[in-house]
Order: sequence, then C-alpha cells, then structure tokens
Amino acid sequence: MKNEKTTIAIAGVIIGILAAGLVYFGNPVNMGFCIACFLRDTSGALGLHSAAAVQYIRPEIIGLVLGACILSLINREFKPRGGSAPVTRFILGIFVMIGCLMFLGCPFRMILRLAGGDLNALLGLVGFVLGILTGVFFLKRGYTLKRSYKMQHTEGALFPIVEIVLLVLLTAAPSFIRFSEEGAGPGALHAAVGISLAAGLIVGALAQKTRLCMVGGIRDVVLFGEWKLLLGFAAILASAFGANLILGAVTGTSYFNLGFAGQAVAHTDGLWNALGMALAGLGCVLLGGCPLRQLVLAGEGNTDSAVTVFGLMVGAAVAHNFGLASSAEGPTANGKIAVVIGIAAAAVIAFVNSSRKGEGK
Amino acid sequence: MKEFIATFYSHFGAIQFKRLCDGKGLKAAVMPVPRSLSSSCGTCVRFCAEDPEEFPEKTEEMEQIVRIEGEKYITVYHIEE
Repeated sequence: MKNEKTTIAIAGVIIGILAAGLVYFGNPVNMGFCIACFLRDTSGALGLHSAAAVQYIRPEIIGLVLGACILSLINREFKPRGGSAPVTRFILGIFVMIGCLMFLGCPFRMILRLAGGDLNALLGLVGFVLGILTGVFFLKRGYTLKRSYKMQHTEGALFPIVEIVLLVLLTAAPSFIRFSEEGAGPGALHAAVGISLAAGLIVGALAQKTRLCMVGGIRDVVLFGEWKLLLGFAAILASAFGANLILGAVTGTSYFNLGFAGQAVAHTDGLWNALGMALAGLGCVLLGGCPLRQLVLAGEGNTDSAVTVFGLMVGAAVAHNFGLASSAEGPTANGKIAVVIGIAAAAVIAFVNSSRKGEGK
Repeated sequence: MKEFIATFYSHFGAIQFKRLCDGKGLKAAVMPVPRSLSSSCGTCVRFCAEDPEEFPEKTEEMEQIVRIEGEKYITVYHIEE
C-alpha cells in the first residue's frame, strides 16, 4: 500500500515536469496536456469541425493510448472488454466534452492551469467537485451501466491501431488533413512531434501503471476516504508549479501568472467555468473515469472507453460547429444552453440507470 | 476467520454483494480495488468468512474472489468467459 502511494506520487511528479516541459517546447501555455483540447484539435485536423484555430493531430493523445497499450501488453493486462451501454457512454462523452470546452480544459488541464497561477481554474475545481458529488449520490443509489463482457483481441486492438493510423496521417500530412496555420491559435502551438509523442508514451504508461484518474481520485476520497489516487494529481500540481517557477527563472519568460484576468486559453466567467466542470465531473463519474483515464482504458483494450473517446471527439465537433465552445472572450449563449441541457441529460441518464436496491452502499 | 476480496464489473455489483454479506452476518467493507490485484480502478468488497461455503450467492456482476494470504492473493473463484 505504501509502495503504491510512493509510485503514484513519483509518477505525478514526472508527469507535472513533462507537462511544464511541453509548454517550454512549444505547446500553448498551461496546456502541456489537455485531453479535451487535444481531442478537439484532432477532431479539427480530421475535418469534423472547421475552427481554423484548433486543428492539429496531437501526438500526446497517440502516445497516451499507445503507452498504456504497450505497458498493458507487457504486464498481461491488455484485456479487451466492452458491451456496457456503449450508446449511453457515447452520449455522455459528447456532453463531457461540451462541459470541458465551456471551461476550456479537461480535469488534467484544470490542474495545470492552477499550477500556472490561473485562479479561474479554482472555480472550475469547485464545480468539478460538485459534479462528482452529484455522481457519487447516484452511485450510492445503485447507478450502473451494467457489466462489460470479454471481447476478441482484434476488437480491443482496433482503437490503438486507429491511433497508429493518426500518427501516419500526422507525419505524412496529406492535404485532406487540416493543420492550424502559424499564428492562427492554440492549434498552431505545439512541441515537435517526437517530443510530444515521447511525453505521451511516458505519461500513458505511468497512468496505466498507477490508474491515475482525477475523477476516481475525488470519488475515492468521498466514498472511501482513500486519498491514494488524488495524491497523484496533487503531485502533478506541485511539480508542474515548481517546474513553471524554474522555467520562468531560467528563461526569463514567466510560466506562472497569478490572477484571473489575462490567462492563456481561459476566460473569467466564474459561474460558467464552474458549471462547465460540474457537467464534466458528473459525466465522468457516470462514465467511471476522467478523459485521461478513458484514453488509458481504451489503450488496455476497453472498447467502452474507446466509444467514449469517440463521443468526446464528436462532442468537440458539436461544440465548435454549433458555437458552444468558449473563447478568451468568455462563454457563448449557445454554450450556456448546451451545458444546462448536458447537466439535465446526465442527471436523467443517472436517474434511469439507478436502482434503489443499491442504496446505502 | 479468513479474509477475501471480491472484484466486480461495476460499482453497483460491489455494493450489491456488500449487502448480501451484511445479510449473512459476514464482516465486509467496500473499498477501491488494490492495484496489485487488477488494473481496474473499480470497487471491491473485502470480507471475512471461515470458508467458501459461507460466501453469499455469486452475482452476475462478480468477476472473481481471492483469498488474502499475506501479500499474495490466491484465486478461489473466477468467472468463466
């Protein structure tokens, strides 16, 4: 048990340093990793949406999936499974992405934004915790999407293969793949492919080894008083914060800007920052893990998680095609309506899949 | 009294089994699945029983039951798939 805590803390420290390092090597500020943003960029590169500022096949995503896949194969933990309410998971994935793009980041980036001094993320964190508490309420009432079943190896391998295809498309760069032009926005800001891919592979393997999950971390604290999983994210926060200060001192460019206004790829509307992450938190509890965890599970052969990731990608397309995604100027009216609909839809999904037999854990 | 851990395919399966343990008077607690037992981050039930005959009825959601032997887990039941 003590070993497990040490492992997860060390993994968190390494991940925090890598995240800060990716910004140094070219990623947008406070966006060393952001599963929501990177899936959104990948959706854009594939032409699922046409927001020219956010189109790039992010190698970090490919690395995360393949890193988890390779380690699970080595440890004989690659176990193809699926069949647990895939359509419900797909729809929840869409809404989780809409919530994340209201806030402008996934739970992982929320931590990195905090480590960069972006206090707007505190409001996001409050909403996120409230969303998780709502999800835990339904878990205690017996919420379940029913069990998954063993699948063929080819079924479990398909998602990692899709990631390899994406890597080929990224490196071959055929004309039908869209890349944000220099100066167009966050999609044009990225570290070199090799660096991003390597960072993704390392973090994917570490996340597979430690089962790192922001949602699971808070859920376990609430349900069991177990802090182990959350310790990983506390370590990421501390190490990314430290690495930002060191990078600032070494380069003369500030990597830590404390405050609300003027933060990179962020807005200052506290209420909608909180509500966006509340939707993400609730949706992720219902899905059984945060977007990072879904990628790792998909790498381990979990096809339900693969379907969820496809839902997240379609959610990004919906968010940009329908004008739901926030920008530095703030949230949009359409986005606010979509988040309210998302919270209502997630609550209905939670309610209809709950059985009072489970009450009282 | 021996200690066992049962793992499940869903959180619901765990809380359902915990209730069955409570019904049979077996000391049981719901907790996160130990990493050394599974890469799943789900919920398991740690419970005490003299022998497997005391176990509650196995549910559809159950994956496996292991006996805790020091630092090791000895499989006493695993679903056939």
